Amino acid sequence: MAPTLVNVAIGVLLGLALLGVALDRKSLAIVAVAAALPDLDAAASLVIYGGTNAVFHTLLLPAVAFVGLYWDTRYRERSWLASRYGWYGVRVAWVSLAAYVVAGIGVDLVHADGVALLYPLHDRFYAVVGRFRLSDQEGIIFTFVERGEGLLWLTSPGTTADHHVESWINPTPGTGLEFGIERTLVVVETGWQLIVVAAAAVAAAVRLREES
Amino acid sequence: MPSTVVHAGFALLLAAGLLKGAYDRRALALILVIVVLPEADTLAGPWIDGAHRALLHNLTIPIVVGVWLYWDTHHREPDQSWLRRRWGEWGVRVAWVALFVHLFAHVLLDYAHLEGINVFYPVYDRFFRLEGEIAISTSEGLIQTFVDLERADIGAGGTTADTHVANPVELSPDPEPDDPLLLPIADSGWQLYLVCAGLFVAIARRFQDRRDA
Repeated sequence: MAPTLVNVAIGVLLGLALLGVALDRKSLAIVAVAAALPDLDAAASLVIYGGTNAVFHTLLLPAVAFVGLYWDTRYRERSWLASRYGWYGVRVAWVSLAAYVVAGIGVDLVHADGVALLYPLHDRFYAVVGRFRLSDQEGIIFTFVERGEGLLWLTSPGTTADHHVESWINPTPGTGLEFGIERTLVVVETGWQLIVVAAAAVAAAVRLREES
Repeated sequence: MPSTVVHAGFALLLAAGLLKGAYDRRALALILVIVVLPEADTLAGPWIDGAHRALLHNLTIPIVVGVWLYWDTHHREPDQSWLRRRWGEWGVRVAWVALFVHLFAHVLLDYAHLEGINVFYPVYDRFFRLEGEIAISTSEGLIQTFVDLERADIGAGGTTADTHVANPVELSPDPEPDDPLLLPIADSGWQLYLVCAGLFVAIARRFQDRRDA
């Protein structure tokens, strides 16, 4: 999976862009946590075989949250969230949901490790990898979408049974906590990730200083 | 280069988070123009060797502009500030955000790509590139490969004389007339992601504005 710090950085940028008047230290922290949340399935993989990038990276969880949030804030006559936390709470909830999907799952989806998008209904990892180019000789080259063996037309690195996504919590395939093995917590993998993290840190510092 | 479309996507994401009250169609259009502008140094390529990623992709321009912007908007009396008198608070905000976006969404993103950028051109002609990773390992502790302190390697490459960064205008240092025309939009998943993230934020902001209105 992509380093959690990158999920958080993108989540912070989404929060700055979408929280609007609800932006403060607390709301930005909630949105950042929402972006990091999917990566907790690495811990779940100690119990559930092949659970990393599957258990909490499934779109089914945010879909349920979306239905619940929509029902409560739009459909009900008296929203529980709005009566308890007001306009602020509703805005923070929606932006957190967006951060969970776009920053938490989306960033990992474009990584070669892939994400089990429809787990547990459909057990298969998918990754959006490829290139998009325009050429005067070959026309439009678009290889992100490809007809494969999977249900979705994306590259698939495997299923939870045969594809293990390494993490510092569970570096080797299989369940159970192991001792005496090497663990690596990747902070940033490449230069562009460092730039994204730096941009998010500077932007958040500037905006939070203005708000206080 | 990550394509101009990728720069624009990341620029949208950053600008939406920083513009605050100055967020409007005019400001976004201006920022998109500023993000595209540095690519004009590809056009100078046929006349000046190694112009792309040097002429307009450097830190010299943002530093000079930043110093001037600070002097004009913070140091001078408010009624003396050229920017404030001409464009008001909107102009001051947009100018600072444009500088930030130019620096992070364009120059620094290119710094981490291919041969990097000519950081202090024209004062000091040398390309630098940002490449490496940071990790914490149980056996080796903190690993950091962006700068090699022992060999004093901070990613320095060649000069404009011997470095050519491939671009649609000149695919190679000595382009042939029958070279294919190749326009990259997104060369990997994360590049496509930045484009989509920028679009997502712009569309989400429109939904929010409609609801708040």
